[in-house]
Amino acid sequence: MRLETRKLLDKAFSGFGLIAIVIMALALVFILAPIVSRGSKAFVFKGTIEHRRVMLELFDRGNVDKFHKERDEVGKAREPIYAMMAEFEAKTLELETSIETTLDEIKNEDRNLRKEVSRLKKVTPRDDVLIAELEARREQFKTREAELKAQRSELDDTRSAPYEELKDTVEELFGPIPGDKTPVLVRQRYGQTRWDRSLIKLHELLYTEEWDYSSPDGIGVKVETPRSELFAGTCLEPLFSYTEENIPQMMRPRTTFYWQFITDVSKGDNFFGGIWPAVLGTIYLTLGSMIFAIPMGVIAAIYLCEYAKEGRVISFLRVCISTLAGVPSIVFGLFGLAFFLNTIHVSSSKSVLAGSLTLSLLILPTIIRSAEEAILAVPRSYKEAAFGLGAGRWRTVLTVILPAALPGILTGVVISMGRAAGETAPIIFTAAVSVGLPLKIWETMTEPTPALPWNIYNLCTEHEAVDEIRHVQYGMVLTLVAIVLILNLFAIFMRARISKKLRG
Amino acid sequence: MKKVIAIAVVAASVGVASAQDKIVIDGSTTVGPIAKAFAEYFMAAHSEVNVTVSESGSGNGAKGLLNGTCDVGDMSRPMKDGEFKACAEKGIQPVAHVVALDGLPILVHPSNPVKDLTVEQVRKIYLGEITNWKEVGGPDMAIVSISRDTNSGTYETFEGMVMNKQKIHEGCEYVGSNGAVRQRVQSTPAAIGYAGLGFVDKTVKALKVNGVFPSAETVQSGEYPIARPLFMYTNGYPKLGTPLYQFITIYLSEDGQEMVEEKGFIPVTAY
Repeated sequence: MRLETRKLLDKAFSGFGLIAIVIMALALVFILAPIVSRGSKAFVFKGTIEHRRVMLELFDRGNVDKFHKERDEVGKAREPIYAMMAEFEAKTLELETSIETTLDEIKNEDRNLRKEVSRLKKVTPRDDVLIAELEARREQFKTREAELKAQRSELDDTRSAPYEELKDTVEELFGPIPGDKTPVLVRQRYGQTRWDRSLIKLHELLYTEEWDYSSPDGIGVKVETPRSELFAGTCLEPLFSYTEENIPQMMRPRTTFYWQFITDVSKGDNFFGGIWPAVLGTIYLTLGSMIFAIPMGVIAAIYLCEYAKEGRVISFLRVCISTLAGVPSIVFGLFGLAFFLNTIHVSSSKSVLAGSLTLSLLILPTIIRSAEEAILAVPRSYKEAAFGLGAGRWRTVLTVILPAALPGILTGVVISMGRAAGETAPIIFTAAVSVGLPLKIWETMTEPTPALPWNIYNLCTEHEAVDEIRHVQYGMVLTLVAIVLILNLFAIFMRARISKKLRG
Repeated sequence: MKKVIAIAVVAASVGVASAQDKIVIDGSTTVGPIAKAFAEYFMAAHSEVNVTVSESGSGNGAKGLLNGTCDVGDMSRPMKDGEFKACAEKGIQPVAHVVALDGLPILVHPSNPVKDLTVEQVRKIYLGEITNWKEVGGPDMAIVSISRDTNSGTYETFEGMVMNKQKIHEGCEYVGSNGAVRQRVQSTPAAIGYAGLGFVDKTVKALKVNGVFPSAETVQSGEYPIARPLFMYTNGYPKLGTPLYQFITIYLSEDGQEMVEEKGFIPVTAY
């Protein structure tokens, strides 16, 4: 090969390498940037008065006097809305009762007339003229009744039905109307806790959404009309401009640092509070899997490197381990369910224990392989020197080989820890639930737990109101990524320290 | 080392002692929102009991009850003969608690002008005989049909009440939860899907079926053709006074009714 070609190939190769690295870095940025920017909104956001109400009432946090003062001010700002709504309600009721009373009157008179007619019909001689006159009046009543009924249904359509819709949006924005019964669902006891969500709800309050299907291709177009048009001419008409103008006074947005998002339990189906049960569950599962996997993995590696005699059985075992590393994680999940739960019954239901065992099987191959590599990388001279000094095999392994291999083993452990923390499939059937309390350490033996990877998936596919709580989902993602990152950093730090110490 | 073992033994024994203080619920994703609401309501009053809820499909609710891995099996369909038989062989006696009623709304994207379909039309769509929206009065779009997975009670209800046990065509897309059906429909203008009533929001449009709109009234009166009860199954009727008994009877209370209603389903009680 000519020198030029070789040089060219060389350059092309390094060029490709560089491109690959750049692409990877970009991918990392593209993945991490949204996670960080959106996830941080779970921690830092503009919180409204409702957020502070939640904190105070559900988590006992915050200054009561300051809150009461603010609540009173906000109450004043919101009062005109409730007053307008009460007036509208009263007016509707008045209209309804007036229609009802007239209807009742007509029915009464009609009944009297009917009696009169039937009485007159029995009297001889029959006064046919009078009877006809009365019948005619009854006919009039009938048309009047039909008219009133039409009025009543019109009242329903034009006042009651739109009002109910409006009331729902007001309740969603500001929480239950003062004086109403406290809702049973925690979610409905408070208004919007976040300013960004408040603005979306405000928009829903100001505009109604309809779909217009008149376009020629037959595909509907969303049309928004101001809700105030529905209430034109009524006492509710000013409500909309008032709400739009005074929304800051009614919600009091303030930049809030909610770092307790990680350590608070969730309330109202993840609507309020934090993600502590899931964080704790993830920590338990990760540590639990380590407790089982590290001893088993390291001992297996020592056996394979130091004790086992190379032969068919051992190479077959090695193939098995490599294959195990490539088995899809869902298979481990199903195995965990079938073996740990349904066959040997490590716990009566799903539990952290069963999940940890399953996860430990999943990461075992990685740990064995990395520990093996690390042990093999220990220079032969170390071993020979130890033997030369009269140390037995067991002692050599324990005091010479293992310490020297520790950094390498730790690397494997770190990689597996990150994997165990983020793995979803093995815990679906063995440990994870969508709702549960944070567990005490001894409860992990018998009880299942929420866990971050599963709850992220569960929130985005199964929660019936996921669009309202996207920030929780992103907050979970960020927390999970951060946990894995911190674990890794910690282990890298440990590894650096140990190898420094070893080098002396 | 001895210390560690001692601690582990103590921890394990405490764990066994507190085994009754948990209620494990598994099963239908349709019943999930109700179960989660009940769980939170229950734990607010009984903080010592840990109620956990997972949503993995009605089939898994039955399996969980059969294997004894859950205390309450949520199901959006009644147990099948085979499941009953398997339970009976294991000495488990499934008791059904009907906690709510549910219609099965047929969902389309809100931009789809179609308002009304007959059960026959829906069946033909899922059989693959009707493949374009223009055949049922809509725009010229190829229909994307979305179904729940076969582990789901919602699927079995649909299969029984709409498909008459005929096979859904092969091009149909299967997804794993009610929420996923909604997400697929809200992001696909030509989609058609079905989910529990509690999962309908304004991002999707529920159709009239045979001219009847799915609502509390039409489901209760039986006018809406695709409706079903939602179950929670327990092993035997729970011992009176136990946490499980208290939990399983929440739906009979006024608060329970309100929760079922607010979650979008139809209560079986009328306070």
